[in-house]
Amino acid sequence: MASALTREKTRRFGGEASLGIAFVIPMVVIMGGLVLLPLLSTMIDSVYNVSPMRAGTPFVGFKNYIDLFNNTTVNQSWRNTFYYVVLAVVLETAGGLATALLLNKVQIGRRWLLAAVVLPWCLPPVVNAVVWMWIYNPSYGLLTGVLHSTGLLTGPTLFFNNRYVMLFLVTLVHVWRMMPLTAVILLAALQSIPKDLYQAARLDGASSFKCFRLITLPLISGGLAIALSQSTVFAFNLFDEAWILNRASLDTRTVIIQVYLDAFQNLKFSLGMALSLLAMLASLLVSLFYVLKVYRETRFD
Amino acid sequence: MTHRNFAFAGDKIGTVVAVLFLLVWSVGPIYWSLATSFTSPTDLVSAQPHFWPTHMTLEHYAKLFGSTSMSQGNTVASVWPQFSRAIINSVITSVAATLVTVAIAAFAAYAFARMKFPGRNVLFFVVVGTLAIPAYTVMIPLYRLMIALHLVDTYVGVTLIYVSAFLPLALWLMRSVYQSMPLSLEEAAWMDGAGRIYTLVRIVMPLAAPGLIAAAIITFLNAWGQFLVPLVFSPTLTTKPLTVLIPEFVSRNYVDYGLINAAGIIAIIPPVLVVLFLNRFLVSGLMAGATK
Repeated sequence: MASALTREKTRRFGGEASLGIAFVIPMVVIMGGLVLLPLLSTMIDSVYNVSPMRAGTPFVGFKNYIDLFNNTTVNQSWRNTFYYVVLAVVLETAGGLATALLLNKVQIGRRWLLAAVVLPWCLPPVVNAVVWMWIYNPSYGLLTGVLHSTGLLTGPTLFFNNRYVMLFLVTLVHVWRMMPLTAVILLAALQSIPKDLYQAARLDGASSFKCFRLITLPLISGGLAIALSQSTVFAFNLFDEAWILNRASLDTRTVIIQVYLDAFQNLKFSLGMALSLLAMLASLLVSLFYVLKVYRETRFD
Repeated sequence: MTHRNFAFAGDKIGTVVAVLFLLVWSVGPIYWSLATSFTSPTDLVSAQPHFWPTHMTLEHYAKLFGSTSMSQGNTVASVWPQFSRAIINSVITSVAATLVTVAIAAFAAYAFARMKFPGRNVLFFVVVGTLAIPAYTVMIPLYRLMIALHLVDTYVGVTLIYVSAFLPLALWLMRSVYQSMPLSLEEAAWMDGAGRIYTLVRIVMPLAAPGLIAAAIITFLNAWGQFLVPLVFSPTLTTKPLTVLIPEFVSRNYVDYGLINAAGIIAIIPPVLVVLFLNRFLVSGLMAGATK
């Protein structure tokens, strides 16, 4: 009787470890083989000279990295990427917060409003870019039409000739797609705030602004940190919108476009790998900065 | 009192204006694309923008679906063979990636949520940590690997890359779903002598269905919208999806805006259906993924 019980116990709980491992093995194989090993290989190969166009893979030390720092084209793509990141993160956070506050307030038809808000995030970025490309069309586009009919603009449109306008227009397409994610994350944070906190503050005579600053903001800081880091990572990885709207043009070229060109058009694999590692590090550092800063400034003591 | 009423009415009007602005911002561009896809080519190049098609035409869709088509007065080869092929490719790779990702995540997440095994926490941290690693970082070695395995331009190759890219998020989501379920249900099943696999598949998973659906939707939408991965790994029509084919309609010197908007509208049908019918699951999934 006792031994049967022990055996039963072993069958159920001693076997737990092996069953658990069996459950995670497919995941380990795929993530190990297709993400972690390639990541390791990226790190290693970035100090060699790997190219399908030449035999042998000589060790070159940090030459790839030094070449990248001295390359004006690469530096231009870094500047573009930083511009995208700053502008996209600011716009997505401000717009996303406003959208979340509005969604939290609206009672009638919230479900449908939420569906409309989420829609841009669900669509293929390529299609978004194509749709906006038509809106931006200098001759027949909606933007030109609206600017003309409201009298804000007369004469021919030359948006695409100005680098900063162009960077802004590309960012706008990206923001259109990514803002819903920020809004949904912040809405989830807003909904987790207990309502009686606001009632108590109102009884104490606090203004709406004071409520927002002293209750809402500290309590959504966790969600804000997540929203900020994800918008940063996505903006650092901007490729589709800039590529569709302006191809490889240096005016709007991002670091990831530069990686793609280096690796798959110029076939300089090692250079591309070094650059993609730097891009990853940059986006990780900036995200970490937000998380720490938001954490430090808003935690309760 | 009147002062208060005014403030209240002002607040109300402000909300309505904000809602209208939000609707125009979110849905406006899609409406504009839809309207364009039904507008005749002559109206597209008129000086005044047409906010709704005055002369409804199916001409752009006929170019996509017809056996032959007219372009600028000349009969040209139809794009239907390529377009239909790309639709099939998009569907196969996205559906396969979704099924494989959700299946793997459903079991692995359960192990992380409920079972004890050596290295559990480290493994979870490493896999979820890859969420912060952009897929593009590993694309170059992945390309060499896929060439060595002869998996470039195959459904298996593209699907595997999608799975590796979208698995961490699905895993994170499913673990939070399992963790929020009461343990007592599983314990009751074990008491009745049910095995762990039986309990997971027949009792836990049906209850976790909303989470599974959310993970499936998010994975599907991500796979459906992928561009850079198939741009590199799907060079020919053997596996080329819609997202790579549609930009090819933009030729260097002439852009047929009616055609690309029509093609874009076709490509957004699955995501739009998801938003219309499954938005509840999608939003709860995004919220769960974001808030732990």
